[in-house]
Amino acid sequence: MTSLAEIGFVALSSALLAIGLFGILTRRNFILLLIAIEIAMNAAILNFIYFAAFSSGTAGLTGQAIAVVVIGFAATEVAVGLGIVLALNRVKGTINVARATELKL
Amino acid sequence: MDIGSFAGPFLPEIFLLAGALLVFLLDVLNVRRNEVVGAIAVVTTALALLFVVADLGFAPFAGLATIPAGAIDATPSGAPLYTFTSLGLVFQGVFLAAAFLVSLASLSRPSEERGAPIFYGLLLIATLGMVLVAIASDLIFLLLAIEVSSIATYLLVAYTRRDSRSLEAAMKFYIIGALSTVLSFFGASLLYGAYGTTNLVAIAHVAGTVGYPVLVLLGYGFLIAGLAFKATLVPFHAWAVDVYDGAPTDVSSFLAGGSKKVGIFAFFLVFLAPILYVRTAPSGGPFTTGTVALGPVLQLTLSVVAVLTMTVGNVLALLQKEMKRMLAYSSISQAGYMMIGIAVGTAPALAGATLQVFAHVFMKGGAFLVVAGVSALGVGPLIEDWRGLGTRKPVLGVAFGLMLLSLAGVPLTVGFVSKFVLFSAAVDARGYFVWLAVAGLLNSALSVFYYARVLKIMFFDAPIPRAQPTGAVVGGSEPARLPAGGLGYGRAMAIGIAVAVIVAAGIYPQLVLGPIQNAAQHFVNLGI
Repeated sequence: MTSLAEIGFVALSSALLAIGLFGILTRRNFILLLIAIEIAMNAAILNFIYFAAFSSGTAGLTGQAIAVVVIGFAATEVAVGLGIVLALNRVKGTINVARATELKL
Repeated sequence: MDIGSFAGPFLPEIFLLAGALLVFLLDVLNVRRNEVVGAIAVVTTALALLFVVADLGFAPFAGLATIPAGAIDATPSGAPLYTFTSLGLVFQGVFLAAAFLVSLASLSRPSEERGAPIFYGLLLIATLGMVLVAIASDLIFLLLAIEVSSIATYLLVAYTRRDSRSLEAAMKFYIIGALSTVLSFFGASLLYGAYGTTNLVAIAHVAGTVGYPVLVLLGYGFLIAGLAFKATLVPFHAWAVDVYDGAPTDVSSFLAGGSKKVGIFAFFLVFLAPILYVRTAPSGGPFTTGTVALGPVLQLTLSVVAVLTMTVGNVLALLQKEMKRMLAYSSISQAGYMMIGIAVGTAPALAGATLQVFAHVFMKGGAFLVVAGVSALGVGPLIEDWRGLGTRKPVLGVAFGLMLLSLAGVPLTVGFVSKFVLFSAAVDARGYFVWLAVAGLLNSALSVFYYARVLKIMFFDAPIPRAQPTGAVVGGSEPARLPAGGLGYGRAMAIGIAVAVIVAAGIYPQLVLGPIQNAAQHFVNLGI
């Protein structure tokens, strides 16, 4: 296990996660929020792939299989999110998250 | 292995999936009456519940058991994706009971209501995901099962598609849920990097040989954050109030009574093994700086989270003016009590937490069902609007009062039994866990204030004149189409069942306490 490469990869995926989380916290447009969520999700998928590359035998195959499954699930989640955006746009006429303030007391 | 012996143990899951597909098929065939699709959901969840109870070995149904004897609580060989534990079966029963009560109560909604098939179909799919969570023994299997239930519940919140409040709730729920998924999967990927496997059984058996303390700590940290969103723990709780408030109230009942417990059980599954066994040790490399005894670190973190959750939930519940928001904050504080179980990590504590989960389905789920019924009668959302309801509708008032007393932990209700078992387990564990019990007791005392305020408003304040049910009815034609005391038979039955369980398990706790204690003991012995 080459230590230097591992640090680099974990740094890369952590940076992706940070970018995604920053987007989730700052973006007010629902579509851009979805993109930010996807970026953060890809950090986890990337982690699985290169930890798989570093391990040997069946452990490595597990990681690759997980990556494929998680990609599929992420797509499902985005489909649901887009459905909510459509309904929201139809009722409220905006997809700005900051305008959704009916549920405050 | 023939298909029958493979499918046998999964009968509850198969029933749920078949029921959901049947409901969606009927939707396509234009059969959309609420009673028809609702009856399918009720029958499906009842059958699945029956088989789970049979598998747990309760006397009259034991003959129906489909999981072969010895397969429950058996030490798993290799790295299986799923394991049948009796504690998991108890949680399956709890999830199915919540779904059963909600679908039974929803039978009383207007039969021409839009979106009924979508509601019941999504309810069954969400329940399917929750039931799968309860048998998981692999981190990825667990997270994907949680996803199945979460995605269905995002849509469930917004199934009416017209109400802007519930759409806003769905939007918030979706964003927070997706964030929690991301954090959970990132944590799982770090654990995979450290352990080389995502199997919880395998992780439990690598004790003492893990070479990456930093990866392990970060991984569990991200998992705590991700799962805490699902279980509505402070500081990841803020979404729950808006979602429970904005969602259709029957859906709130399902979220608070059922799907939140998914997070609690996931905590049991993921964190019991590291608390009991796993130590990380240095072995050279970039992420190895020193030895970490993982158990105490996690226990301290989870204890702090538990105390914060119950306190913040209770204090904010005191300040609420709306009934649903008050119940939502009280639901958050109850999640804090449940977390004591895993923070202490002994078998009696897990039993207490499980009993609390069991009780919460009937107390909080039932309370939300009452709120849904009462608002269908034309009563407003504020607590003040409930003035005099106890005298106008005595039976309903007494039922709701019993649920609140049980939430507060008054003796002769199941809420008292669960808190007693939980807090005494924390005291028995010694150390700083005694302070968990103290915090829990203080919080219970605090919670009595806001429950008692509701009781006072319901029973001792004079009704608001305009809401009198006699004479010119303000609520329009609604009372006319609702038989049986204005609630509808289905909702009345669901509330009746909830009250019966609260009282029966409160007066005669051995009914459920014994099996749950056995299950928790087996679960700790197994130590997945």
